[in-house]
Amino acid sequence: MNCRNIKTMFPDYLIGDLSQQEKLLVQNHLADCTSCRSELESLSSVWTKLGVLPEEEPGERLRARFYSMLAAYKQGLEQERAARSWGHAFSLWLERWWPRRPVVQLGTALGLLAVGLAAGFWLRSAPNAAADMLPLRQEMQDMRATLAMSLLDNSSASERLRGVNLSVRMDQPDERLLDSLLQTLDSDPSSNVRLAVVDALYLFRDHAGMRRRLSESLSRQTNPLVQVALIDLIVNLRERQAADALKALIESDRLAPEVKLRAQQGLETLL
Amino acid sequence: MTTENYPVTDNQLMQEVRDGRVEKLAVLFERHHVRLYNFMLRLTGNASVSEDLVQEVFCRILKYRTTYKGTGTFPLWMFQIARNTHIDYLRKKKAELSLDEQWDEAASGELSPPERTERDLDIVLVQEALARLPLKKREVLVLSRFQNLKYREIAEILDCHIGTVKAHVHRAIKDLRKIYLDLSGEAAL
Repeated sequence: MNCRNIKTMFPDYLIGDLSQQEKLLVQNHLADCTSCRSELESLSSVWTKLGVLPEEEPGERLRARFYSMLAAYKQGLEQERAARSWGHAFSLWLERWWPRRPVVQLGTALGLLAVGLAAGFWLRSAPNAAADMLPLRQEMQDMRATLAMSLLDNSSASERLRGVNLSVRMDQPDERLLDSLLQTLDSDPSSNVRLAVVDALYLFRDHAGMRRRLSESLSRQTNPLVQVALIDLIVNLRERQAADALKALIESDRLAPEVKLRAQQGLETLL
Repeated sequence: MTTENYPVTDNQLMQEVRDGRVEKLAVLFERHHVRLYNFMLRLTGNASVSEDLVQEVFCRILKYRTTYKGTGTFPLWMFQIARNTHIDYLRKKKAELSLDEQWDEAASGELSPPERTERDLDIVLVQEALARLPLKKREVLVLSRFQNLKYREIAEILDCHIGTVKAHVHRAIKDLRKIYLDLSGEAAL
């Protein structure tokens, strides 16, 4: 390093802001360079010399003047605030009280949440409130059913799957929706959609006529996966008519061997 | 510059002042007024002027409190205001006094009683030498030597490049040495 580069580090050297490596660079250079050494010595001596100037305390008058200035300013500010409209005063009041520390903010937010939850719980448990809600719930159910049925009619398999999933979320599916689902089970071109319907209808197994209609559907299925799923379902439900449906299935030709095996096992379970 | 030891940081306090709780400025005053006073004292060499300027700095902090963004550190913002306050003071004074008179006043500072010791004499000499430095150099020297600020921070206060600050410090010390030697008539420094 040349003298010019070394000298640019002198100010850092003075305030002790050099890394160990840089300090070493400077020291190595100084060992060989008399002119730089004497310059740094001279800079350092001035730097040290400045230390004779002591830190001094201002007079007490300064403090007194500051506090009277602050008090006057505060008073002026308050008068200005009082003169403002009530709406503004209210928002200033909020601003004043709204906590600034994140921890306190979080605490306040959680507190308000708890109050909200408690109020919600109380309203929910009030009987006439529930009665008020009933028509609204019914309306929601109807809307959902309509949406699900229109999705089941969609030409896209993924939309039809959405329709099946939406049906699953209904507490009380109406007759029209169940018809649509069974229709889909019998005739949907996509085996994925049909499988999803098998799963969905399991949830509505206690609906009048559902078990019988599931058994009837078995004879109309051709895909082995759907057949197996349906066999498992009706065996699981211990539907009396299921035995006949299984027998009929076993006797039919064009049946995959593994499906036949599953149907026979199911039949044994039922009998 | 560290404020970690305080339960409430300068930054938080100043944000409260900004948002209307101006009484919090009292805490900032207690923390920083001695420091500001010494900054002004090294720049002006005059105790009573320095007190007036510190008072003016806190007035300006209140006046401009709503412009405080809280992105940097409070002391840097404060020193920017302090620096401008000093510059404005010099402008005003320049209009009233000639340059020679300014020097006279600085030389006849408060540390000039008849029976002063050698150390007192030295203090007067150093302060006088400082007073004769051009303003830019005096500022960087005071901020780095007496306020213990990093060159990076000084660059932020003066709104210039860090290399410029270092170059000014280097030149300032060289010039100061020359002025001091001229004043004292000795060659020992």
